[in-house]
This record gives sequence, C-alpha cells and structure tokens, in this order.
Amino acid sequence: MSILLLLVTVIGGALLSAQSSVNGAFSRKAGTLESAFLTFITGAMMLFLLVLFFGSGKILSILDAPVWQLSAVWLGVGYLFLTILAVPKIGVIAANLAAIIGQLSMGMVIDHFGWFEGAVIPFDTKRLIALILMVVALRLLYVGNVKQQREKEMLETKAS
Amino acid sequence: MKSIFYVLAFLAGVALSLEGAMYASLGETIGKLESSLYNFAVGTIILGVALLFFGKGKLSYTKEAPKWQLTGGLLGLIYLTILVVGIPLIGVGMAMSSVVVGQLIMSMVIEHNGWLGSPKVTVRKEKIIAVGLMIVSLFLIY
Repeated sequence: MSILLLLVTVIGGALLSAQSSVNGAFSRKAGTLESAFLTFITGAMMLFLLVLFFGSGKILSILDAPVWQLSAVWLGVGYLFLTILAVPKIGVIAANLAAIIGQLSMGMVIDHFGWFEGAVIPFDTKRLIALILMVVALRLLYVGNVKQQREKEMLETKAS
Repeated sequence: MKSIFYVLAFLAGVALSLEGAMYASLGETIGKLESSLYNFAVGTIILGVALLFFGKGKLSYTKEAPKWQLTGGLLGLIYLTILVVGIPLIGVGMAMSSVVVGQLIMSMVIEHNGWLGSPKVTVRKEKIIAVGLMIVSLFLIY
C-alpha cells in the first residue's frame, strides 16, 4: 500500500515538472503572472466540477476551518513571488536547488515535531544519512547543469 | 548581497513544505478535493488582483496559444490533490522527497527529448548518478 502511495507521489512530482515546462512555454509569450493566473483559474474551474460531482459534501465546513489552515494559500503565492525574485539574480538552476533544499529540510522538521496535526516522525540517523545523500545529489546536479550550460554557450558562440 | 537571493529561494522551498502540510490538515477538515479547490479558487482571486495592478504581459495570448500550453491547471490540481491525500499517510518529509525525485526524473526526460518546448539536451552522467542517489535516500527513509 505504502509503496504504491510513494510511487503515486513520485508521479505527482513528475506532473509538477511537466507543469513548469508547460507554464514556462506559455509565460515566455504571455508573462509570468499571467501564466500563474491561467493555471489557477483553469484549475479552479475543473476542481469546481469535480467537487460538485465527487466531493465529500463537507465544503461548507470551510467557514469553520481555522485561519492557519486557510493561510496555506499565501504560501503557494509566496513561493511564486520568491521564485520570481530569485531566478533573475541567481539563475534557474541555483534557485531550484536552493528551493529543493528548503523543501526537503522543512519537510523533515515538520515531521519531527508533528506540526499541523501531522504524525510525529522523528529525525533519526537514517533520515540524516538520507539528507546528506540528497545534498550530495544536488551538488552533482548543480555541477551537471553548469557543465551543460557551458557547452550550450560554447555551441552558441561557435554558431555565431 | 547575492546571498540574500539564495535565502529567498530556500524560503520558497520552505513555503512549499509548509503549504503541503497545512493543506493536508485542511483536507482532513473539509475533504481532499475541497482543499484543492480552496487553493485554486482563492489563488485565482489573489493572482487576479495582482494581475490587475502589476500585470505586464499579454493574457490574450491564451486564445492563440497551442492547447497543450493551457494544461498547467490540470497538472497542478492533480499534483496538489495527490499531496493532500498522501501527506497524512506518509508524512511531509517522505512526500516532499518523492515529489523531488519525480521532478528530477521528469525534467531530465523532458530535456533529453526536447519535449514541451524545451531545448533538447542530452542527459549527463552526473545527473543520472544524482537521481540514483536521491532514489537510494528515498528508500532509506521509507
């Protein structure tokens, strides 16, 4: 069961990466804010239909939901704005990798303390080793990406 | 001076994890699909206001764009709903790690094949080793 769930979440990540390519292509012509707006409004329209037909029927309890649960939406928008600020200054590659480090370490912190009504999953040696391996992997990715970019630039100067 | 932008990018990632955990919790209160709908509906409103005041682009490009460029919302809603369902069962740490693995593999595949308008770049061995290491670390915490 759990391994299946893991696989589904990996697929979720794959879809997210596809989304960033799709939105990247759209935003080159239409603009970043415009691209984010289109993503949100089309997502909302489709989800509205899905909730109507397959919803749990608890949608009205949104009025009773605590404000801290509802403020999650600002974090999604915050992510967008922080990325827009950082990418032009440090580049897509570095910005993505820094974000991944933030994402992975915060995930483990939340688990460790069981924040937001989640289960407590303590930070143990296994998780520490996993985190170190991930940092090594990200370093390798960085090196690979930089080399790739250098090759691309060399090709471009040759072509011109 | 430049280092502040690394911090900002880091914080962006922190925000993603917090968002996932909070929506997982909201999903228990109002339902999973409802939690995703909340995000997209209220996000539309926030971005709509931002667009009114700060939009410099051309939203009307939507009419000319090839249809595949309009699928971002569909992909995003599937992603978020998977997170809202998954996080209460496997935890935020593991959910975020597997999301990152999926992202890295997919972006390599996209680049390697030059899909979705991205320039075609042959995958480098450093990246394959990196993804391998990420998968090993995923199984370590599994």
